[in-house]
Amino acid sequence: MKYKNLNNYAFPDKEGRFGEFGGKYVSETLITALEELEKVYAKVKKDKSFQEEVIKDLNDFVGRPSPLYFAERWTKKLGGAKIYLKREDLNHTGAHKINNTVGQVLLAKKMGKKRVIAETGAGQHGVATATVAARHGLECIIFMGEEDIERQALNVYRMKLLGAEVCSVDSGTKTLKDAMNEAMRDWVTNVEDTHYIIGSVAGPHPYPEIVRDFNSIVGKELKIQSKKEFGKYPDIIVACVGGGSNAMGIFHPFIKETKTKLVGVEAGGSGVKSGKHAAPLSDGKVGVLHGMKTYLMQDKNGQILSTHSVSAGLDYPGVGPEHAYLRDIGRVEYQSATDQQALKSFHDLTKTEGIMPALETSHALAYVNKIAPKLSKSKTIVINLSGRGDKDMFTVAKEDGMTL
Amino acid sequence: MTRLEKVFNQKETKNKVLVTYTVAGDPNLGSSKKILNDLIASGADILEIGVPFSDPMSEGPVIQKAHERALKKNIQFKDILNLCKQIRIKNKNVPIVLMGYMNSFLSLKNKLAKELNQVGVDGVIVVDLPYDESKSFFNNLKKENIDLIRLISPTTDYKRLKRMLASSSGYLYYVSLKGITGAELKNFNEVKNKVKKIKSLTNLPVVVGFGIKDAPTAKKMSSFSDGIVVGTKIIDFIEKKSIPKISNFTKSLKKAIN
Repeated sequence: MKYKNLNNYAFPDKEGRFGEFGGKYVSETLITALEELEKVYAKVKKDKSFQEEVIKDLNDFVGRPSPLYFAERWTKKLGGAKIYLKREDLNHTGAHKINNTVGQVLLAKKMGKKRVIAETGAGQHGVATATVAARHGLECIIFMGEEDIERQALNVYRMKLLGAEVCSVDSGTKTLKDAMNEAMRDWVTNVEDTHYIIGSVAGPHPYPEIVRDFNSIVGKELKIQSKKEFGKYPDIIVACVGGGSNAMGIFHPFIKETKTKLVGVEAGGSGVKSGKHAAPLSDGKVGVLHGMKTYLMQDKNGQILSTHSVSAGLDYPGVGPEHAYLRDIGRVEYQSATDQQALKSFHDLTKTEGIMPALETSHALAYVNKIAPKLSKSKTIVINLSGRGDKDMFTVAKEDGMTL
Repeated sequence: MTRLEKVFNQKETKNKVLVTYTVAGDPNLGSSKKILNDLIASGADILEIGVPFSDPMSEGPVIQKAHERALKKNIQFKDILNLCKQIRIKNKNVPIVLMGYMNSFLSLKNKLAKELNQVGVDGVIVVDLPYDESKSFFNNLKKENIDLIRLISPTTDYKRLKRMLASSSGYLYYVSLKGITGAELKNFNEVKNKVKKIKSLTNLPVVVGFGIKDAPTAKKMSSFSDGIVVGTKIIDFIEKKSIPKISNFTKSLKKAIN
C-alpha cells in the first residue's frame, strides 16, 4: 500500500488502532485501568493548565528547547548534504526519554496514583522515570533485565541514587521485553494505586498515543528551528527505532509535510540476513505482544525470538504500532545499521564534533554516514540525536578490547 | 449438546466441576500426556491445557517456568494438537480447553478453528484477548462450534459485563484476584459477591480460578460457583519432580468440592 493523501491523518482511531495495528491486547483486569487512562488523557489533552504545567517542566526542569546544531566538520568530512543534530542528548538525564516521563508523571498524579513503575532496557527510561518520581515524591519501581543490569551498571546506580527500587528480571531472555512482561505483572497486581509509565510508543492503547504526544515536542521545535536556521523544513529526518519513541517524536509533526523524507533506522545487529538483529520492520511478521498488534520478530509458532543489538535500548523484538502503519503506507522508510556500523559512527561523531552519542543514536548516524556523501550540498538532513553516550562507555570499551 | 454443556448439566445432581490447568509438553510430551490421563482418572472434569509461550505475561513464577520447560523441549503447535487428539481418542467426553496467548493462536491463521475442531478441542481461552478485540476471533471459532471462554476480573464493571455476556458461551472464568496466576487469595467475600452478581445476570456456568491451592479453599470457592480451576499447585508438583502426587491431590480436591 502506498499513501495518497495524508491531510486527514488522525491516528489512533476510536478503537486505538493505526490501520490494523495497535489495539488493546491485555488481560481483562487491565482494561479498566486503560479506559481510565484514556479518559483522563483525553481530558488533559484539551486542558490548558495541564499543558502549561508540562511545558513549564519541559523548560525549567528538562532544559528545553533543545538546540538544533549544525555539524559543520562532519558535514565537510562526508562532503555532501548539510547535517544538523537535534540535541536531545542535552536534556536533563541525557536523552529524549524525559519528555515522556515529565508528562506521564503529571498524568499519574492527576489519577491519584501514589506509585509508578517502568521497564527499562538501556536504563535511560528508568533514569528518566526515577527522576520525575523523585521530583514529585512518588514511590518508584524499575524493572530491568538481568543482562541489561550488567551492561548498564552506571544507570542502575543512578536510579538507586534517585530513590528507585531496581528489580532484576531473570525470566526469558533477561532483556527489555522480559522487563516489560514483569512490569505488566506488577501492574495487574497493583493496578489500583499504580501507574505504569511505558517508555516507548508501544504497549496497549492509549500508550502509543500518549508517549508520541509527549515526545512530539521534539518535532514541533524542529519545525520552528529549521525554518529559522535554513528557511525551510528539512529534506530528510533520520532517527533510530527500537520501540520507536524518539523517532515518532520527531516524525509525527512532519507526517503531513510530505516533502520531508522520514527515515527510521533499526538495529541490524550482526546483519539482518544473519538473523541476529532487532529489526522487526525489516525482517518481522505481524503478531501480538505487550498489548499491541505490530511487526514482531517471531518463529512460525508465534514464539518471540531473542534479539541482538550492541545497544540495549534497541534490543526489543517489537516496534510501536504507528511505525508499523507508517511503514505499510510507505510514509516512513525503514532501514537498518549493524553493530559495527553504529560503533564506527559513534567514534566518528565523538572525534569530529566533540559530541559523544548513545549507541542507539549511533545507528541513525551510521545511515547518514552512508547517504550524506551521495546527496547535493543544498540538501539538509536532521538527525534526532536522541541521547548521549556516557552510559555506553563500558560497552564501547569492551568492543574496542579495553578494560576500564 | 456440547461436551462442555454436558459436564455442567450434572448441576442437577449438584456436582461441582473440577477444572485443571497444566502446560502442554511440561515437563515433556510423554509425561504431559500421562499427567492429563491421570488427571481425568482422578476426577478432573475439564482439562485446560496451556499453550506454552515465550512471554506469558499473566503467569506467576511457577507457571512461567512450566512454559519455559515446555519450550526447551521445542514444543510446536502441531505437537499440542496431536496431544489433544491422543487424549480425545482415549476419552470421548472430557472437554478440552486450550489456554494461551494471542500470538500463539494467530500463528495458525485462518486454519485455527478447523484444526482445533478436528482434534476434539472444545474451547479456547486467550489471556490477552479482551472482549473488545475478540469479535472476529469469536465468530471464527463459532463456525466450528468452539467456545471462546471469557475471563471476568474483579475490575470488570457491570456495564461491560453485560456486553460481554451477550457474546459468551461454554462457561465463564472468574479471575478471583487482581494479579497473576498462583498469587495469594485474600478477599473471599468479594469473590463470593462478584460471582453471585455474575450468576444473577446469566445462565452460563461460572468457575473460579487463580489462587486456589488446597482442598479447603476449593471447597469454599465451589460453595457459590459452578466449579473451580487449579493450576499452579499441580504444576508445583511437576516442578518438584513429584508427579505421582498429582493424582491424590486431584482426588482430594474433587472430594472437597462435592
